[in-house]
Amino acid sequence: MDFSESPEAREYFRERFGIPEEVLRRYRFLRRGKYVWAFSGTVLIPGRVEHAGIKALSLAGATPKPTTAFLRVIGRHTTKNVVRIDREDAPAFLRGEEVSGRWDATRGYVIVVAGNDVLGCGFYTGHSLRSMVPREYRMEDTWI
Amino acid sequence: MGDLPDFGHFRKYEEIIPDFDSFLEVLGRPQPYWIRVNTLRIEVPELADRLKSKGFCLERFGSLPVFRIVGMPVRHPGATVEHSLGYYYVQDLSSMMPPIALAPQPGEAVLDIAAAPGSKTTQMAEMMANTGTIVANDVSRERIAALVGNLERLGITNVAVTLRDGRTASFGAEFDRVLVDAPCTGEGVVRKNPHGFRAPTERDHRSFAGLQRAILRNAYRHLRRGGLLVYSTCTLNPLENEGVIHFAVENLGAEVLPFSLPIPHSPGVEEWNGREFHPHVKRCARIYPHMVDTGGMFIGLLRKP
Repeated sequence: MDFSESPEAREYFRERFGIPEEVLRRYRFLRRGKYVWAFSGTVLIPGRVEHAGIKALSLAGATPKPTTAFLRVIGRHTTKNVVRIDREDAPAFLRGEEVSGRWDATRGYVIVVAGNDVLGCGFYTGHSLRSMVPREYRMEDTWI
Repeated sequence: MGDLPDFGHFRKYEEIIPDFDSFLEVLGRPQPYWIRVNTLRIEVPELADRLKSKGFCLERFGSLPVFRIVGMPVRHPGATVEHSLGYYYVQDLSSMMPPIALAPQPGEAVLDIAAAPGSKTTQMAEMMANTGTIVANDVSRERIAALVGNLERLGITNVAVTLRDGRTASFGAEFDRVLVDAPCTGEGVVRKNPHGFRAPTERDHRSFAGLQRAILRNAYRHLRRGGLLVYSTCTLNPLENEGVIHFAVENLGAEVLPFSLPIPHSPGVEEWNGREFHPHVKRCARIYPHMVDTGGMFIGLLRKP
């Protein structure tokens, strides 16, 4: 088994997003190379495992970057660095476009919420919100 | 029947398929879409309201978190924000039955030996409330990529994905339940692509049966004593279905258990082309396209004594 535990990832979600301990406790944060997976399973079998849970954090850049997929899992438990946008702005954000505005968040990666939906990862510059939703999740013109 | 392909291939099943003319007639009609609500993420009524307000016409199936799409304002039922947020999965009704028969419980260890693209894997994870573990295996990197895409989209965190040969690989653990949703000749899903249907030959049926037996043998090896295993295919030929269950009883020592399903089905057939199967194969289920306007499926439930 080639994963190693990543206390840094747990710390990251606790510090940046204020995710409560009882939520973080559900996951093992497993690092391999530049990624950390969040795994709520109880058994890690021997031999090569391609993915354990879902990718939660990328450590490829200068700062850790949370994944949209994992933010959609824990998003409703966030207490810090949440950006709430209007429902009408959700399609633009999901298309990968920028949304202007000021929110109570520090510059960096944020969790973007619209109504009851956790839309995913954004980057807040201090005066605008950039969408970090990956290309494969982006809203297409044929969608409603 | 206009420009539809000749379904003469299916004549050989006339004796075992009830209301055969109705079956043939339904084969020529396109299949409706069914969707399964991801209850890890959204409540059934809330999702229904959201889709209805966008112009979908839905019919709930009994008390399952499942809707039949009667009408939709888009070309494909996945063309919605709700789908991309992982609130539902487009999955054929009959394909939802193997996990229901297996009934994995929260906290258990489950092996899904031919898991991609993950309709049943994600369904089981929902039934297990994202707890316990599912080891989801498949044999090709492309199929694994599709599986991972679905796991991420639905927010499934209790699955460990492996890329191993289901016929021979060791998974290093014993499991409470195992799903063998085996590769097959796909006669039950011809409605999805009637023009692309290439009628399987006797050799194809025998060849797949050999593959299915090998996967089942290896899967059964990983089942703990007292554990349950579901063997399922989406084809109609008894060589790939009852024949494989017979193998499990005679060669592996498995018990065939009766089980109930929330949709109409026929029992397994005890005889085919002069070959007799173990009488307990009648405890298996055959779901036919004309019974609930869905695809065909075969399901057998085994227990390791």
